[in-house]
Amino acid sequence: MAGGRTLHVRCATWDQVETFTSRKLRKGKLLSMKVPFTPAIGSAVTLGLELPNEVVVAIDGTVQQASVIEAEGRTWIEVELHGFTSEVVDRIKQMASGMAISPVAAPIIPRKQGPTAPPPAAPRTSTVDSLPQDERELFQHLTTELKRLRQAAVHDVLGVPYDADAETIRAGWMRLIRRHHPDLVARRKAPAISHLAEELTILTNRAYDRLRMALVAEGRATAIGATVSAPPGWLVGFDELASAERATGTTMPPPARGRDRIASIPPVNVASGSGPAVHGGDTFETRARQMLGAGQADNAQEVLAAALVVYPRSKPLRSLYYVAAAVAAIEKGEVMLATSQLETALAHYDQCFDATRILDYLRKAGQHDPNAIRRMFQ
Amino acid sequence: MSYAVGIDLGTSNSVMAVLDRDGGARVLTTPDGATTMPSLVWFSPDGPVVGEAAREGLDHSPDVTIFGAKRLLGRRFDHPDIKKLARTLPYEIAEAPNGDTWIALGSGKLVSPEEVCAIILRELKKTAEAHFGGPVTRSVITIPAWYDAAQRQATKDAAQIAGINVMRLLSEPTAAALGYGAHRGAERKYLVCDLGGGTFDVAVVDVSDGIFEVLATTGDPFLGGDDVDRAMVEQLVRDVRTQKGLDVSSDAIAIERLRSGAQRTKHDLSSTSGATLQISELAQLPSGRAVQYGKQIKREELEQWSAPLVKRLEPPIKEALARCGRKASDVQEILLVGGSTRMPAVQREIERVTGKTPKVIPNPEEVVAIGAAIEVARLEGAIDGILLIDVTARGLMVSMGQSECEPVIARSSVVPTREHRVFATKKDDQTRIEFDVWEGESSDSTQNRHLGRYAAVDLPEATAGDVLVLVEVTLDTDGTVRLGASEMVSGDRLQLEQVFHAGLARSDVVRLAKQLAAQST
Repeated sequence: MAGGRTLHVRCATWDQVETFTSRKLRKGKLLSMKVPFTPAIGSAVTLGLELPNEVVVAIDGTVQQASVIEAEGRTWIEVELHGFTSEVVDRIKQMASGMAISPVAAPIIPRKQGPTAPPPAAPRTSTVDSLPQDERELFQHLTTELKRLRQAAVHDVLGVPYDADAETIRAGWMRLIRRHHPDLVARRKAPAISHLAEELTILTNRAYDRLRMALVAEGRATAIGATVSAPPGWLVGFDELASAERATGTTMPPPARGRDRIASIPPVNVASGSGPAVHGGDTFETRARQMLGAGQADNAQEVLAAALVVYPRSKPLRSLYYVAAAVAAIEKGEVMLATSQLETALAHYDQCFDATRILDYLRKAGQHDPNAIRRMFQ
Repeated sequence: MSYAVGIDLGTSNSVMAVLDRDGGARVLTTPDGATTMPSLVWFSPDGPVVGEAAREGLDHSPDVTIFGAKRLLGRRFDHPDIKKLARTLPYEIAEAPNGDTWIALGSGKLVSPEEVCAIILRELKKTAEAHFGGPVTRSVITIPAWYDAAQRQATKDAAQIAGINVMRLLSEPTAAALGYGAHRGAERKYLVCDLGGGTFDVAVVDVSDGIFEVLATTGDPFLGGDDVDRAMVEQLVRDVRTQKGLDVSSDAIAIERLRSGAQRTKHDLSSTSGATLQISELAQLPSGRAVQYGKQIKREELEQWSAPLVKRLEPPIKEALARCGRKASDVQEILLVGGSTRMPAVQREIERVTGKTPKVIPNPEEVVAIGAAIEVARLEGAIDGILLIDVTARGLMVSMGQSECEPVIARSSVVPTREHRVFATKKDDQTRIEFDVWEGESSDSTQNRHLGRYAAVDLPEATAGDVLVLVEVTLDTDGTVRLGASEMVSGDRLQLEQVFHAGLARSDVVRLAKQLAAQST
C-alpha cells in the first residue's frame, strides 16, 4: 500500500462507477476531495475504489495540492492517480459489464472492513444448520438482504428514487421497518436472527435519517418528529468527490432535484487552484443586490441560484433568492406570487430584512410599484 | 415452561399485567388483593420488606425505607435535581465511587437504586409466579420515554439482578396508547400526559396502521403526586405549629404520618369537595401524652397549595408539541395516564393548555401495565400487526482528551441506529486512545451526562495521525448503548477497555443477581 494513507471511495452502484471514471476525474487522473487530515504535497496515497461487487481496487496516487479549509477543519486535496492505468479502467469496465474477473491485472485488496459497513453477523454454517427449517430460510433470507442493502446507496436501501420527496421516503422506510424490525422476529429462538433483524433495521433507520436530513438541508422538508441535526461524518463518500465539470449552477433552482445535489458539497474553485472563496458568498450577494437595484431581478435570481450551489446551507442567500423571485414576480404584476415567495424567504430565514421590508411595503402601500422596490436595493 | 409478564415499574406504585388466553388483559393482584404495589422497600433488621408491608417501615424507620428509587436510577449525584431531591427525602443518598447516586442505609451501608428496584421486581416476580404456578423469567418493563441510555441500562441491570430477562424496554406513553387500545382504533395522534407519583411525562404518539411512533417526548422528572403530598405536608406542618404550638418539621416520624394522611385526603378530594385529615398520634409530648391532629381540608385549599405544581404541566406539553412541529389541534385524542391525573385541577389545566377535553381512562394506574402485557403477547407472537417505533430522548456525543464534545447520534434518531467517529493518534507510536462518551447536546462536556471513558488499546505502532480508530456507537432497540472499535486501515477489531463507567459494572450485576437469588431461597 505504498506506505501512504488509504482513502476509501465506495461506489454502491455501477452507475456511480461509471460516473467516477467518466466525470469525477479531471484529465483522467486528477481527483479532488475533502479529507480530515493534511497530507504533505507529494506524499503517497492509495485510493481504495470499492465496487458494487465488493471488490476493492487499490489505485496508487500522489498528492498534488492541499489546502486547508479552516472553518471545517478539513483539507481539500488533489490527487494524481498514476495507478489509474488503462488496464485498470478496462478491468473495471469488464466487471461492470458482468464479465469474468481476470485474476491478476491490478492489485486487488480483499474488501476490508469499510467504515460504512460494520461487520456482518458472521453467519456460521454450524448455527444455520442447527436451526429448524423455517428459521433457516428466514436466516438465509435476512443474510442475503443485509448483504444486498449494505452495498446499496441510501436511496436504493429504501427503494425510492433519487429525487423522492419526504412522503415517499417515509413510506419506503415504513415498508422496510415492517419487514425487518427486530420485534417481528423476537419469537424466534435463534439470537442470530434477532441480530440480523437489528442490523437491517439500523441500516434502514440510518438511510432514512440521512435522506431526511438531506431534504431538510435543501429546504424541501421540515423536520417532523425525528432527527433535525446531522452528525458531521467525515467519510469520503461518493458524493463528496469533486465533479470535474465546473458547476454550471445558473440553471439550477435552489430547491434541488436530482442525484448530484443530494448531500453534495460542491468544491468550488479549490481544485482549480484559486484561493478559498469568500466566506458566506458576499460577492454573490453584492452582485445580486446590484442587479435587483437595476431592475434585473431574473439575473439576480440566477446569480443567487449559482451561489446556492456553492453555499447550499446559507440561509441569507437562500432567503435572498426567494426575495429575488418575489421582485421578479412584482415586475410581472403577480403580487400574490410575490407575497408567497417573500413568506417563503422568511420561513427560511426569519431575519431576512429585505423580505420583511418588501412585505411591509406591499401590505401598507397596497400598491406594487417596481421602481419603489428597485430603490430599496440601491 | 416459563412465563412472561408486563411490568409497569412506577416511581411510587408498580403494576403487573398479562394477557389471558382469550386476549383479555388481566392485572395481577398482590396477596392482599391490591392491583398496585407500592414501590417501597423497607430494609428492616430481618431483611428487606417490600410493598404494602413496607409501609410500616415508613412509620417508624423512614431512614431505611426507600421510596421513589426509580427517580435515582442512573442519575449522577452532583446533578442539581438530585441535590434538590436530597433535601426532601427522609433517607440519605450518597455518592457512589463513579459519581452515581446511591442510597445510604445508615451504619455506612450503601445500596444502589438498581438493587432497590431489583428487590421490588423480585417481589413482583414472586407474585406473578404464584399466579402462573410456574417460573417467570421474562418481562417487558416500561420506562419513561425520556429515559436516557444510562437510566435504560440501569433498569435492565435491575431486572437482571432480579433474575428477569428484559424482552423489551417499552416507553410508557406507547404502552399507555397500546393499553388504551389504540391499535384497534383508526389513524390518530395521541397526546399522552402521564402524571404519576414522581414523574410527569408527555408524549405525542402517532398511531397509523398499527405502527406506533413516538413523535416527541418531554417531561418533568421531578413532578408528580408525591410533590403534591409534600406541598400539603409543608402547609400542615405550618398548621400544626399554629394549632398545637409544636414544631414537627424535624420529626421524621411525624412528617411521615402527615404525609400518608395527606395522601389519603388528596385521594378523597379528587371526588369530594371536602375531606377530613385525622391523625390519632402525630407526636408525643415530653409527658408521654400523644398529640392528636385533625384538619378539615377543602378541595379549593388543596388546589391553591398545589397550584405552583400544576402550573408546571404546561411547558412540557407545549414543548412536546413544538418538538414534532404540531399544534394541539393536530392531536385527535389526549390520554390522561397515572393516578395523579385523577385530580380535577390537573384535568382542568391540561384542558386549558390544549383546548381539548382530555380522555379520562377509568383505570389510569393500570393502563401502562396492560400496554406492557400486550407488548409481551406481541413479542411472543400471539398478536400481529403492531409495531412500536422508538426515538432517542437525548443525543450521544464523544470527545477525546480535553476536546469539545462532538455529536455522534442526534436527539430523536430512530432506534436502533449506529454512527461512527474517527479518532487519530496524536503521538508517534501511540498504542492507546482514550475517549469519552457523553449523553446530551452541548459541546461543553460539563453540560452532558458522562456515560463512560473507554480506551482502544493495542494499536499498531506508527507515526502520529497514521493510526485511525473507528469507534462505532450503537443504540439498540431498547435505547441502550453498545460500543465497538476497529482500526481503519486493517479493519481489525480493537479491544475496548472500560476506564470509567456510569452505572453498575457487569461483574457487579452478576454478583448481585447471585446474592439476591441466594437470599430468596
